Amino acid sequence: MSLVHRVGLVAGGVAALVGILFVAALFAILSLRHAESRESHSSDVTVATLRVRTLSADLESSLRGYVLSANPRFLALFRDARARVPGDVSHLRSLVHDDPPQRVRAASVAGELHAYLLDYAENVITIAQFSRAAARGPAAGSEGKRRIDEINGTLDGLLAAENQRTHRASAHAQSVTNVAVAVGIGAIVVSSALVLLFGAWVARAVARPVRRVAAAAADVAAGDLTVRLEGGGAAEVAALVTAFNSMTGSLELGRHQLLEQNEQLREGERHKRDLISMVSHELRTPLAAVLGFTALLLERDFPPDEQRRYLEIIDTQARRLAALAGDFLDVQLLAGGDLTLVLTSFDLVELVREQAQLFFLEPSSHHLVLDVPGEPLVIEGDRDRLSQVVGNLLSNAIKYSPQGEEVRVSVRSVGDDAIVAVADDGIGIDREDAAHVFEQFFRAADAAATVGGTGLGLAVARDIVTSHDGTLEVESTPGVGSTFVLSLPLGARRAVVGAEQNAPSRQ
Amino acid sequence: MTVEQADDRPRVLVVDDEAPLRELIVVTLGDGFLCEEVSDGETALARLRESPPDLVFLDVMLPGLGGIDVLKEIRADPALSDIGVVVVSAWQAQADIAVALESGADSFLPKPFLVEELLSIAEELAGRRR
Repeated sequence: MSLVHRVGLVAGGVAALVGILFVAALFAILSLRHAESRESHSSDVTVATLRVRTLSADLESSLRGYVLSANPRFLALFRDARARVPGDVSHLRSLVHDDPPQRVRAASVAGELHAYLLDYAENVITIAQFSRAAARGPAAGSEGKRRIDEINGTLDGLLAAENQRTHRASAHAQSVTNVAVAVGIGAIVVSSALVLLFGAWVARAVARPVRRVAAAAADVAAGDLTVRLEGGGAAEVAALVTAFNSMTGSLELGRHQLLEQNEQLREGERHKRDLISMVSHELRTPLAAVLGFTALLLERDFPPDEQRRYLEIIDTQARRLAALAGDFLDVQLLAGGDLTLVLTSFDLVELVREQAQLFFLEPSSHHLVLDVPGEPLVIEGDRDRLSQVVGNLLSNAIKYSPQGEEVRVSVRSVGDDAIVAVADDGIGIDREDAAHVFEQFFRAADAAATVGGTGLGLAVARDIVTSHDGTLEVESTPGVGSTFVLSLPLGARRAVVGAEQNAPSRQ
Repeated sequence: MTVEQADDRPRVLVVDDEAPLRELIVVTLGDGFLCEEVSDGETALARLRESPPDLVFLDVMLPGLGGIDVLKEIRADPALSDIGVVVVSAWQAQADIAVALESGADSFLPKPFLVEELLSIAEELAGRRR
């Protein structure tokens, strides 16, 4: 989950908690206001009740005053009080209209008052007008007191119930307020904790990976490009880690490529040094023979046959020098892709025979075993270049096998190809070196230590064979011998090199 | 038989896989030396042990046992250790010369060489043995 998502989530949580806080406060305020209006209503009810009570007291005292004194002023007070009864009672009843128990009490007050006035007060007044003594009788007095007490009792009940209700409402408002305050405090505490925890988490989730990246960057600056960070954590951090790793990866790759190029350049330099050293070595042996015999011929007198022999040696060695120069030139040509083939049709058998005679001049150090067919195998190609290839294979066979051993040369046709095989019983080439013998300047270590050579012959030979659409391969067992197999297409060559490479016909 | 007994010319073994180079050394030394030629290291050692010569011209790059190995064998063998050895090589960097001399060569002759130089080295070493 990304950091932004988490921040959003936590902010949403905090907002919800604050919302709860507001709702709780609102609820508390509403419930307080309700309790307040309830209280003011109760006080109205109380006032109205007290008024009715005052009224009942006024009725009772004025009635008793009239009975005792027969003073019409009391009767006037009674009438006045009585006139207020319907208004005050109905006011009280309307106030408690929505409260059933109170409504019952108010109704019974109204009934009792009505009964007191009609069944008792009017009778007492009538009796008093005729006989004051009868009206003053204890029965009448106690009846009046009983009825008034009854009314007052009901009114007291009404007052008490109203008081209780008010008390209950304010207690409820108080508890609602308490709950609202608790909820508010809780919401504040929880959201503060949430914000604090989240801050700590962000610090941990961001600061720690950033420190790790900074440390790794310092390592990279110090040159260690193998540094890789472990992923995980918030999406932004993971993206940073991925970007960092891919940066060090490409840096490392770049450095690796530079090192590789450097190594290739160095390799090239070494090749060049090896070439110069090898060229000078290869030139020195024939040069020593040419210079030495020339000096001897100039300084000393030899019989004519010896003179001739030394001149022949000089000639052979000078040719060898020329061949070496030719090899280097070929490498230049092949490297530049400037090898031009002069194509003619000729008999490959005859070419091999010629080269064999040249390399196995009697007396020869090695025995030639030549196995060729009686009929010609005609191919089309550059005769001089292919002579060079066959000559190279023969000279290698002689060079890399002990004196007196056989060199077996065979020519045969297999399908559409002419095959020339040159086999020796020489030192052989191990598997690893065999993969490189056709590379320029490659010399197997054991061969290089004991046998002179440029490491060019086979490279040039393979290039020549390849440009004839042929193949040149080697099979060898170290210590047993090597067989080089040259394969060339029989018959006319397929048009121009490079054009129609895929033409199937070889006739 | 009588010729060999009477022959007191210095005896020289020429070791080189290149026939023209062997012949050049033999012809240059001329009639004053009794020369024998071999073309590889093993044959050279066998011949040395069979009949130790006064002087060896030893090519470094030989098929099989190399010239420097042959030289070390000569110096390790008490019967052969006083033979004069001239190392002849187309490899003539300072390092190549140093290896030859440290391995016990009396002299180092680079290819190509001057005939007079070869002759004077041969005469000097042969004379020392007398």
